[in-house]
Amino acid sequence: MLKVSDLEVSFDGNAVLNGLSLEIKEGETVGIIGPNGCGKTTFFNCVSGFVSAFAGKIVFKEKEIQTLSPSERANLGLGRVFQNFGIFREMSLLENLLLAIEGNRKGASKKELKEVANDYLKDIGLQSKINSKAGSLSGGQMRLLEIIRTLAFGAELFLLDEPTAGVSPKMKDDVAGIIKKLQQAGKTVLIIEHDINFIQKFCSRIIVFNEGVVVLDDTPEKVRNNQQLKEIYFGQSA
Amino acid sequence: MFTLLPQLLINSLITGSIYALSAAGLALTFGVLRILNFAHGHIMMVGAYVYLFFLTRIESGLFLSALGSICFMSLLGVIFLKIFISPFSKSTLLPFVTTVALGAIIESIVSLIFGVNVQSFSSSYATESYEVAGIFITPIQILIIVSALILLFALGYVFHRTSLGLKIRAVAENASAAQALGISRRGIVTGAFIFSTVLAAYAGILVGYETNLQPTMGGAFSIKAFAAMVLGGLGNIWGTIAGAYILGLVENLSIGLDFWGYSLPSGYKDAFAFVIILIVLLLRPQGLFGSKGRAA
Amino acid sequence: MSALIEIITSDYGIHLGILICIYLILAQSLNLTFGLGRLFNLAHIASCAIGAYATALLSTEFNYNFFICLLASMVISGIFAVALGVISLRLKTDYFAIGTLAFSSVVGAVLINWREVTRGVLGIPGIPRPEISGIDFYQNINFLGLSLVLMLLVQVFFYFIQKGRFGRSLRALAEYEEAAMSLGRNTARIRNISFFISSVAAGMAGSLLAYYLNYIDPSSFSLTEMVFVLTIVIVGRPGSFWGMFAATLFIILLPESLRFLDISSSYLGQARQFLNAGILFLVVYWKRNSLFPEQRQV
Repeated sequence: MLKVSDLEVSFDGNAVLNGLSLEIKEGETVGIIGPNGCGKTTFFNCVSGFVSAFAGKIVFKEKEIQTLSPSERANLGLGRVFQNFGIFREMSLLENLLLAIEGNRKGASKKELKEVANDYLKDIGLQSKINSKAGSLSGGQMRLLEIIRTLAFGAELFLLDEPTAGVSPKMKDDVAGIIKKLQQAGKTVLIIEHDINFIQKFCSRIIVFNEGVVVLDDTPEKVRNNQQLKEIYFGQSA
Repeated sequence: MFTLLPQLLINSLITGSIYALSAAGLALTFGVLRILNFAHGHIMMVGAYVYLFFLTRIESGLFLSALGSICFMSLLGVIFLKIFISPFSKSTLLPFVTTVALGAIIESIVSLIFGVNVQSFSSSYATESYEVAGIFITPIQILIIVSALILLFALGYVFHRTSLGLKIRAVAENASAAQALGISRRGIVTGAFIFSTVLAAYAGILVGYETNLQPTMGGAFSIKAFAAMVLGGLGNIWGTIAGAYILGLVENLSIGLDFWGYSLPSGYKDAFAFVIILIVLLLRPQGLFGSKGRAA
Repeated sequence: MSALIEIITSDYGIHLGILICIYLILAQSLNLTFGLGRLFNLAHIASCAIGAYATALLSTEFNYNFFICLLASMVISGIFAVALGVISLRLKTDYFAIGTLAFSSVVGAVLINWREVTRGVLGIPGIPRPEISGIDFYQNINFLGLSLVLMLLVQVFFYFIQKGRFGRSLRALAEYEEAAMSLGRNTARIRNISFFISSVAAGMAGSLLAYYLNYIDPSSFSLTEMVFVLTIVIVGRPGSFWGMFAATLFIILLPESLRFLDISSSYLGQARQFLNAGILFLVVYWKRNSLFPEQRQV
């Protein structure tokens, strides 16, 4: 589904991605972890198209996309959920969803669109707030809204950037729930997270970034017990 | 191709000096406040009118009138800052709107008090010119060039060689970090704005002698200062000063331009600042000396 | 009450009505780019100027009829917007404002200095009233009818634009551009289109103004006038469709009420400018926390 080869990105002379390569197959759920500043969000930004790479290739659904604009990539099915909540706070939940669904259903009437939106909101239990401003939601609710909106948009690859950031512990289960729904729907999910306990529940693989490259790529158990990982995070020696 | 090139170069230096004084002040406020003060040109204009008031109504002589204007404008500057700028400094868009409003308020009040007609400062210092090596220059024009050099040099000295300058640069770069080191952001901002106002007022007085004065000139002066900043690079005070002299050069050469008998109508002179802005924004938005990524 | 009706139906009232129609077109169109899109477009009044001068020249030099002049004004203003967009739309806030300001000033400078065409500060006189199926538009009441028709068409148009897909996309990109892009929106194109639409409407307003005053000169399109329209949008709450109506009425009628005080007419212009700027500042101060939430980015 997604294949990245030798990606190089630098800002102001500092290399952030140093020849990063990885491959994700369709339907997989993969976690990405690593210390701060190792390039995780930059990687997402590069794949989404907000940052251009010096060198390297990005292939999505067998197409090379590094020359495409972010909106073109989105229209190919590349979804993105932003760390700082990419929902539009000034708009209602309905409007947020309309933005996602109206593109694909040109002939539908306003009423039909509203029903579709309502159904999606039911999936996350927020249908009662359909006309409230999105800014009035809690962090966890915003996260759920953004994920369901990306699903409604028709994305096939989901780039989730720290989905539990700003989410209360109680709502983390809800976030986990919706990620499971994505899995059941056959979507491909990439999650950047700091909370390993959270992601090991549904990831088949965990990829570890460090200093702009992939240093480890394995199952959650193997990664947890890996000595190298402990060094990276905690600076312990063998 | 150019008629009277040496004279044009000296004229460029004169015009450039005035623009440099004005633009330096604007760059200073932009540096510490990160806002574009649209009323900057209007402040220049008021400084000139206050000077005129002291000169003609109170008849206090050139030097004292200038001093009076500067003192009065310092006070006015603090008032403008506290009312029209400080409450909005957290937003990127609002200060621009409020300074536009301030400019309009200033323009209407000055028009009501002094009338809309063109004024000019008459003085023998401005009209009697010396001739040096074929170039004509008046005492005031010499003052303009020399005082600008002194003031800009002093600015540079304070900026780079004093602890005050260090504090200013700290606030300009990262206000929160500077405050964490005990530097009073409010004090620095107020001081910088007062200095900017004083420079603007002085530049306005010089303009009154160099050309003439009208309450509606504020907008054009602001845009010219903006042009110098855009040309030099928005974050860069020395780039801005360089941009100001370049602007002076372009304006004066444009009048002297003589392409096989065709010369540009002098009314377009002011438009050069506008066109320069557009060309820079089109080709190199960060300006000659600015850093990429700030503009586009 | 009867006195009010008398004023409304008097010549003075009709005059105000026509002005209100013209400003409503300007305000609602600026509301699209500045209110919804948060683009601080100071060149909006320049679009209006271009429309006005286009109509003035086409009707006086070439005697083209109303429909051609109106259409030409709208198209030429639209083209102007495209040119403006090329330079400005890729720039960030501060630079964008300066860019539009510079553009507007260039237009002003050309209008004043290109005397062979625009007659500079003397302006262009002798613009005839429109001729449509024999109606005498020199009667202001008929002109008011024409203005109302055009104004209402524009309002309906902008209503559907704002409430529909395009308005939603515009608001989304104004709030968080990357998030809008991740929903497949071509944000650059949306901005360009909003600029174009807004400018076309401003051109129409300019054309109407030229036909009404029968004379135009550069002073009608100064920065002061731009601030006037800006104030209407801000007072009426940026982004609010209905807010523009009340705000236009308020901003136009308030300075007019000065006429009833004993202010000499030579001071009226300055008083209007002062009052308007004062209102602008007060509203911005009062609403400073809610007016323009900061744009979010990745």
